[in-house]
Formats: sequence, C-alpha cells, structure tokens
Amino acid sequence: MTQNDKALLTRLREQQVEFVIIGGVCGILHGVTLVTLDLDICCRFSRENLRRLEAAVKDLHPQHRLTANKLPLELTDELCDSLKNIYLRTDWGTLDCLSEVSGIGGFEQVWQCSVPHTMSFGEFRILGLDALIAAKTAAGRLKDQEAVRLLLVIKEKKERQKDLF
Amino acid sequence: MIDAKTLAQMNGEYAMPADAGPAWRAAAAHGYDMSLLEETLRLTPEQRLEMHQRALNTVLMVMEAGECHDAK
Repeated sequence: MTQNDKALLTRLREQQVEFVIIGGVCGILHGVTLVTLDLDICCRFSRENLRRLEAAVKDLHPQHRLTANKLPLELTDELCDSLKNIYLRTDWGTLDCLSEVSGIGGFEQVWQCSVPHTMSFGEFRILGLDALIAAKTAAGRLKDQEAVRLLLVIKEKKERQKDLF
Repeated sequence: MIDAKTLAQMNGEYAMPADAGPAWRAAAAHGYDMSLLEETLRLTPEQRLEMHQRALNTVLMVMEAGECHDAK
C-alpha cells in the first residue's frame, strides 16, 4: 500500500487537469497536523477534463475503488456525462475526484473559493481556509470536526500574524 | 536548580503563548498538542506536505504490519 500525493499531483498538473486540492491534503497545506490516507480533489467533470484525468493515471492501473469488482477506469463519453464522482485506487495511492463539495457547491464555486499556491513541483490551487472550514463543517464527520477545530486555530493565528500562509 | 514551572513543562505541561486566542486555548484545553501545531505553522506548505508524507508512510507501514500479523 502506498500513497504518494506529490507524484499524483505532478501527474495531474502535467496533463493539465483542471482541479482544486480539497480535503485532508488541503488541510495539511494550511497547517493541520492530522494524517490523511487519500488525496481529494474537486475537478471539472467535462469530457475533456475527465479524459485528461484518465491520461494522468492511465499507466497506474486505476480502478474504481468502491465498485465490487474494482472496475478499471475506462471512460466513454456516455460515462463521462453520467459520473458525479470518481473514486480511484492507483499504484500511487487513492485519488478521489469530486464534481462538487458540500458547503461550497460545484466546481466553479470551488474554483472561486480556491487560492493559487506554488510548490517546487508546480503551481496548484487549493481551497482557501474559510472555504475549507465551511466544507469540513458541512461534511460534519468526527474527523472533519477535529480538522475544523485545528483550522479555526490556524485562522485565528493567521489573523494575528498576517505573514502566515 | 529547576524551577517548578520548568519541571512541569518538562513533564508535559503546555506553556500557553501570551498571544493565544480563544480558539487556540480551546484546542489546547481539548487536548491537542499545540506545540506540534506551532512547529507545523513555522514550515512552508510544501514542507508540511513532506512532513505529512513521512508520517503517512509510517502509518501505512504499521497498517501493513498489522495486516501481515492478522493473516498469520
């Protein structure tokens, strides 16, 4: 079992997938100290963008991880039009792709609430701190509540020290 | 001679920063290790991602070891 978020993100960027980093990894980038086992993104569910997503992971044996038979990722135009989420298991780890985020809305709203961030392996957009708090609050699971508590601390700290990311 | 306050901190008592706000104090009271959060916030986002990757690798290694143990 492996999970290499940096490698997955690099692949997505190389294939020019339109996406925003959400979920636990977004929390990590903001400073949350909880461990997360998957990479969650919100992406545009257009045929073109989903084809780019497929190309990004095609040699990583992508499977729909929640299907009983672990069906391989083999997109058709018809399937692209029907999917709202894609939950993948790949050789480089779990990649969950959502078309919308609870508490925020669809991809356009998520994009509006995102902020650019440059790392050594590329520029990415991540959900802004307030939006992440709203999303985690809306999700409402125990692990989300834990994350919200830390995110509120980080927000408070940021407001007191404007130089923090 | 170590004073009582320092000794308490050596034993795990958290020294609340003077500028700690209500959210910070509430999280500390809830039992979070705020010193870890302080350290993390001193890092760049990319350094945070790398630190998380190392922690995640350890978690996955322990999970695999548990699965191997259960299979025996």
